[in-house]
Amino acid sequence: MYRQGDVLIVPVAQSAVPAALEQAARQPRDARGRLVLALGEVTGHAHAVVGPGELVREGGPFGAAWLHLPEGGRVVHEEHAAIALPGGWYRVVRQREYTPGAVRVVAD
Amino acid sequence: MSSQLTGRPADLSVAHWRAVAAATGPADRATAEQAVRDAYRAAGLAEPAEFRWCPSPRAAVDELLAHRDEFGASVREQVRTAAWERARTAALAALGPAGWSALWAVTGAELATTTALPAERVRAALLDHFAPEPEPIDDWQEARKPENRAVRQAAAERRGRIRLLLLDAVAGQHDAAWLAAFDTAGTGDAALAALAGAARQTGWWWPYERTVLLSERPTALHRDEAGRLDRADGPALAYADGFALHAWRGMPVPADFLDRLTGLTPERIRGEENAELRRVMLEHFGYDRYLAESGAEPLHRDATGTLWRIQLPNDEPVVMVEVLNSTPEPDGTHRTYYLRVPPGTRTARAGVAWTFGVEEAEYHPQQET
Repeated sequence: MYRQGDVLIVPVAQSAVPAALEQAARQPRDARGRLVLALGEVTGHAHAVVGPGELVREGGPFGAAWLHLPEGGRVVHEEHAAIALPGGWYRVVRQREYTPGAVRVVAD
Repeated sequence: MSSQLTGRPADLSVAHWRAVAAATGPADRATAEQAVRDAYRAAGLAEPAEFRWCPSPRAAVDELLAHRDEFGASVREQVRTAAWERARTAALAALGPAGWSALWAVTGAELATTTALPAERVRAALLDHFAPEPEPIDDWQEARKPENRAVRQAAAERRGRIRLLLLDAVAGQHDAAWLAAFDTAGTGDAALAALAGAARQTGWWWPYERTVLLSERPTALHRDEAGRLDRADGPALAYADGFALHAWRGMPVPADFLDRLTGLTPERIRGEENAELRRVMLEHFGYDRYLAESGAEPLHRDATGTLWRIQLPNDEPVVMVEVLNSTPEPDGTHRTYYLRVPPGTRTARAGVAWTFGVEEAEYHPQQET
């Protein structure tokens, strides 16, 4: 598994990927052609993948997501060093924080 | 017409409407008024006879309380709701329920934090301003006295009246999430394009037969990286006439609360009875400083970081992991940050693993930046 700031990228076996994902809508690429894993609203800084692949999100911008990189790829961010990812499927998890009675997301 | 809802790609719609939702500063009033006229005409109505601009939604409600009877019937259903219904019906017919829901996930849902939540906060603040809830009475015999019941009854009626006035409003820039979805679906007609044109210029607006009330957008909007209202040294959302909302990472706080944060001490933090406000005080004061000044001992240390606990009176303890950012700052130092984790956490690794929803034994990143 790989961590870039507040995003964790966990390799998963293809057999563990839910079948329903086949039908699910793919996250569109941004204007620079990247797959955005998490976006900072104010700075516009993004954890993003460059290279071929697909991203499927579950339940809104802060839900988990599935990332498929058939040929591998690189995760980049304006403030963090890039990480090279081997080809395969990944679960992408955004970091959260405990608050009594609720849980909130972390934004770095 | 400049308004276009032509089925552009989701990322372009979202970027455009994200900017609309976060826009501040004076409207181009002529453009906004023309868009509203277009919306009336597209709904088959006569153009409004009068436009009245207000510096904030609060000023608009003031105006409504004083002059509502002069404006004619509300035409929100015809002007706004009917256009939305047509666009949504067309989108559902074109995409099917699953397709619409998938489209929403990559358009409207992306904007909910910046649109729906501030709108809800504005609504709540207006209700509290114009029709505050009476102080609760703990003694039930006292509460049952006719004069006290009358006070509650009157307050409830006033709240109901304000709610009805707020229901007449079109949310303007706060409708961005829906407009982004229709923008990508490409199902908007001329009526919806006119509404989109108004949303690009104004805050909330109230369409009535004769008169249209429009509120200017805020003069200041401060958000955190997640898009939540957030500011430590002033209002997170402010309008030209002084109507303002204070918030810390999305959590509403009283206006005078932030002023009181300047002279904080660990004693004052411990003395705060409201657990949510105390949490904000702790974050503002700084966990590191609080830990140093209260002489706290770490519970556990490992390669992922340090686990700390702060005991609080009449509350669950604050348990936090202290983590180093792996990528150094430009000056070569590593930024330290603290994340609160469930109170039962026993190791630093378990804490960090929890923040990512994985088990302690699983959490072993091979690379961190």
